[in-house]
Amino acid sequence: MPQYRIRHLTRYRYDEPVSVCHNLAHLLPRQSPRHFWSYADVDISPTPAIRSERLDFFGNRLTLFAMQEPHRELEVLAKGIVNLDPPAGSSGGTATDLFGGITNWSWNQVRDFLTNNPRGDDLDAFQFLFESPYVRSFQDVHAYAESSFSINRPILEAVTELTRRIHADFIYDTKATTVSSTLPEIMKARRGVCQDFAHLQVGCLRSMGLAARYVSGYLLTAPPPGKPKLIGADASHAWISVYVPNMGWLDFDPTNDCIPSDKHITMAWGRDYGDVSPLRGVILGGGKHIVDVSVDVTTL
Amino acid sequence: MTVDQHIPSPSGSLRPSGLCAGYVPPSTVFDEMEERDGSVRPHWNMFINLLDDLGPAELGRRWETAKQLIHDNGVTYNVYGDPAGMDRPWNLDAIPILFGADEWTRIESALTQRAKLLDLIIADIYGPQRLLHEGLLPPELVYAHPGFLRPLHGVQVPGNRWLHVYAVDIGRSADGQLWAMGDRVQAPSGAGYTLENRIVISRALPDVFRDCRVQRLATFFRTMRDTLRAMAPHNRDNPRIVLLTPGPYNETYFEHAYLARYLGYTLVEGGDLTVRDNAVYLKTLGGLQQVDVIVRRQDDDFCDPLELRQDSSLGVPGLVQAVHAGNVAVTNALGSGMLETPALMGFLPSLCRYFLNEDLKLPSVGSFWCGEATACQHVLANLHRMVIKPTFPGTGMGLVFGDSLTQQRLDELRTRILTCPRDFVGEEQITLSTAPVLVGDRVEPRHVVLRSHLVASADSYSVMPGGLTRFSARADSMIVSMQRGGGSKDTWVLSGGPIDTFSLLQPAGQSIELNRSGGDLPSRVADNLYWLGRYMDRAESLARLARGILARLADQNLENSPELQLLFASVTRDAVKDETEDQQRHPEQRLASILFNDKYPQGLQSTLASIYRLASLVRDRISIDTWRIINRFDRDFPPAGAYGVQINEILPALDRLIITFAAFGGLAMESMTRGYAWRFLDMGRRVERSLSLLALFRATLTTSIEREAPLLEAVLEIADSAMTYRRRYLSTLQAAPVLDLLLADESNPRSVAFQLARLAEHVEQLPRTASAARRSPEERILLRMLTGVRLMDVQQETQLGPDNHRDRLDQMLIALTGDTYALSDSISQSYLSHAVASRQLGLDRPISGALPGGGGGV
Repeated sequence: MPQYRIRHLTRYRYDEPVSVCHNLAHLLPRQSPRHFWSYADVDISPTPAIRSERLDFFGNRLTLFAMQEPHRELEVLAKGIVNLDPPAGSSGGTATDLFGGITNWSWNQVRDFLTNNPRGDDLDAFQFLFESPYVRSFQDVHAYAESSFSINRPILEAVTELTRRIHADFIYDTKATTVSSTLPEIMKARRGVCQDFAHLQVGCLRSMGLAARYVSGYLLTAPPPGKPKLIGADASHAWISVYVPNMGWLDFDPTNDCIPSDKHITMAWGRDYGDVSPLRGVILGGGKHIVDVSVDVTTL
Repeated sequence: MTVDQHIPSPSGSLRPSGLCAGYVPPSTVFDEMEERDGSVRPHWNMFINLLDDLGPAELGRRWETAKQLIHDNGVTYNVYGDPAGMDRPWNLDAIPILFGADEWTRIESALTQRAKLLDLIIADIYGPQRLLHEGLLPPELVYAHPGFLRPLHGVQVPGNRWLHVYAVDIGRSADGQLWAMGDRVQAPSGAGYTLENRIVISRALPDVFRDCRVQRLATFFRTMRDTLRAMAPHNRDNPRIVLLTPGPYNETYFEHAYLARYLGYTLVEGGDLTVRDNAVYLKTLGGLQQVDVIVRRQDDDFCDPLELRQDSSLGVPGLVQAVHAGNVAVTNALGSGMLETPALMGFLPSLCRYFLNEDLKLPSVGSFWCGEATACQHVLANLHRMVIKPTFPGTGMGLVFGDSLTQQRLDELRTRILTCPRDFVGEEQITLSTAPVLVGDRVEPRHVVLRSHLVASADSYSVMPGGLTRFSARADSMIVSMQRGGGSKDTWVLSGGPIDTFSLLQPAGQSIELNRSGGDLPSRVADNLYWLGRYMDRAESLARLARGILARLADQNLENSPELQLLFASVTRDAVKDETEDQQRHPEQRLASILFNDKYPQGLQSTLASIYRLASLVRDRISIDTWRIINRFDRDFPPAGAYGVQINEILPALDRLIITFAAFGGLAMESMTRGYAWRFLDMGRRVERSLSLLALFRATLTTSIEREAPLLEAVLEIADSAMTYRRRYLSTLQAAPVLDLLLADESNPRSVAFQLARLAEHVEQLPRTASAARRSPEERILLRMLTGVRLMDVQQETQLGPDNHRDRLDQMLIALTGDTYALSDSISQSYLSHAVASRQLGLDRPISGALPGGGGGV
């Protein structure tokens, strides 16, 4: 069972003092299958005047805190140790291996099933069918998605192909998009980062009438061949989950064209990035500010 | 629900006579006043008789007075995108609409049921969601609704009550049936306008109002106050309640200010509030004061940029968490706005049976949510006679009337609906009833819709006996909208029993804790009052200066009158950029353009516009009488274009304006309590008056001209001190005594020294954070200025230098001017600069790239 240590440091520095700030973080891991957290905590500096925690609508752990004294710097350090119990296969395995079985559901059966009086888990999945603030304009991605969804095609086969196509058709490029890029912008640029690819695939799946959610977490990365791994070289990661009745939520990673198994660490999920952004805040004052983020995922 | 059966009145079938004689409602509709056979409905008999006794001439006369009252009270409704200005005068009809006591009792019971039902629905959506799990409500209406605010799910609201104020639009179809046409829960407007309409109509027709035994509205507002007070999580005896407005650009801002003043709440914008320790505080001059209840008049998704819409600049960061922590109550509860979706209407009958085990008493207009296949087919088959509405807000689509579309447009709409049926609702149009509206000196039928208001009471809801009736702009139009040029009516509910004459304006039975502090002045309001004072005095100074010049231009020539040239230069010096063009024109024309050209920011017209804008920002802080004065500006001083350049027209206008300023100053002196609001208004006036006096002296007295007497006389007159001077010095005009009177004499309310002394008194009384032992920066500046003025030797200062220039005086005036600006900046820094907008922190985005060894095939 692989064990990982995660260290996620976010540091804001301001030109002028910030008198008040209110922040919201998704930096504590949620309950999710196959993840066993032996430790998780968030250190905040300066010490917040108030700090509270609650579960958000999707069951993620939400940390809220506020500074009420002038400060020029904010540091948030999330730490955790997790044991991952991967399914039988490992990275690079097939869907059948990794999901521990196959399903006979075609994608259009799933689509029709969900819209027909959903209850229980299906009702929960139902809410991931619609547009959300970061995933809009389905009409712009529908034509792209469609070619993987011929009628009666098994859903796993269709989603696997869509994952592969996004990986093949879109270039990983940290400069091409921003945190708030829209689906039409991503389609036009044909470039982006994991957040964009995840939004894109979520949009494609929803445009076909399937329930898809955005998953936020970390990924164990390797240094370039022959080089040592640098401290802080990692970043937070994002991928997607698609709902299949009776099987539940199945993860796919369009950035790496794979099915997440023993190297993807799930922290939170929601409709899109906006529901689960690791850290955000509203400040009073501050002038210009810069943000530094460093993430380390290490194998123990 | 149908109206009372027609019961012949004792006097037999009464046909309308007098004013209503020529009234002919369309035969295919229900008329509120007339039966089909042309007789008057029984509950209108008394009213029509009284109106006829009054006679058309008297009605017309009274109505003119009433319209003046509406103008003077500044009742407005902002019309989006109206280039003519954002405040459109409120259009009220002289004739109210009447409801009989029996019918109203049934309406009350139906509306109460509807409010209870909606409250149960929204509590379920944000709680157990039984309606979704049991399949009673399509989950799209919740999960696809952008107004379903997930951060509010599971929140505990006081008493599990989500709706406290609720309004519903009601129309009557041709068969007399009443229908609910729309539910308003987000920020249900209209109650304040209803109240204002009642005040106007009951003043115009006091005798008719009394004799018709009309039920009063005040009890409704008392219930509202009791309910809101009971919501307070803490401090229930005397909770701080604020009314949260999106600001003066909102279409119903008038009402926000009006209700806040009427109910005694502080009117706030999002920036006035801050969250500390998971509780909400109001930023006031006296520091932070905890807020217990927020009555919101802005959409719920804009209320917290941290957890709700991040692009909102109107919100209070951290509000949602404060609500979760139970430290503040918000009404209507955050998240309840989604109840306004027209798609819900079709499900209300079954939900009513589910929750209340009753039939829905007030049916909704036929409403078909296209997300259901059969409903969608029905809508598409009847598209040409339906009203199509968006299911969810924010789509940018308004109402579409099928009967107004060409075949091509209908086909386009059909395609749009089929693309995403759940986004559309089709509604059947009802032929709205008509009521008589006074048009000129006769009455004509117009279609009407009633907006009825409810407020939560102990365990139920109370219905306002009355409401805001709106009517269509034309007899052949069913579109009833204030936005589209319709009008409004007072709504009279007649009483079967005794009238409750309770008034909120009278002292209530129980005594409240005495409080004289008034320290709850939001910093933003203090800022607006300060600038209101400054602009007021700037306008007055300019008017006085212009009057002084114009009066002299009538019998003197600019070319051979040096004192006129100096005065003229002091007005026109800021208008340099138009110099070349201006040189060609007559002095009168140049002056007129400075006074009337609203493109010129230092001009009188622009300054008056700023006064109006600032005054409307602090409407809840200034009395009705003060408003009336401010509203007189446009009567006293109409905009450019209305005027030529005739001096004989401008001068009287300036005279009237100066008297209006005097009225404003008098009211501020006599009727404002000496709280911070008054202090900041007065400080603004004193600062501005010092600045304009100093500028006048620099322009006129620092260089000596040959015959100085006429100039000194003009300065004295402009500074409103000619009489005092003559009493003291008879007719000897010299620079030294003039300067003594206008600069150094602390007993002359028009002198610089007087302004400084008043300012020193004010700043001493302002709240301060630092230890009281040290002087505040404002106190130090004022001490320096006052000492300088008091130590000044006027004779010496006015001595002429070699080039006929009074250098020492000029230096001193420059220093005083600089210090006055420094003082103003310091006041802003210390007290007024809290209005900094909050901003989103930059977001970190996940950018992780490749797995070890690159991607593997799936």
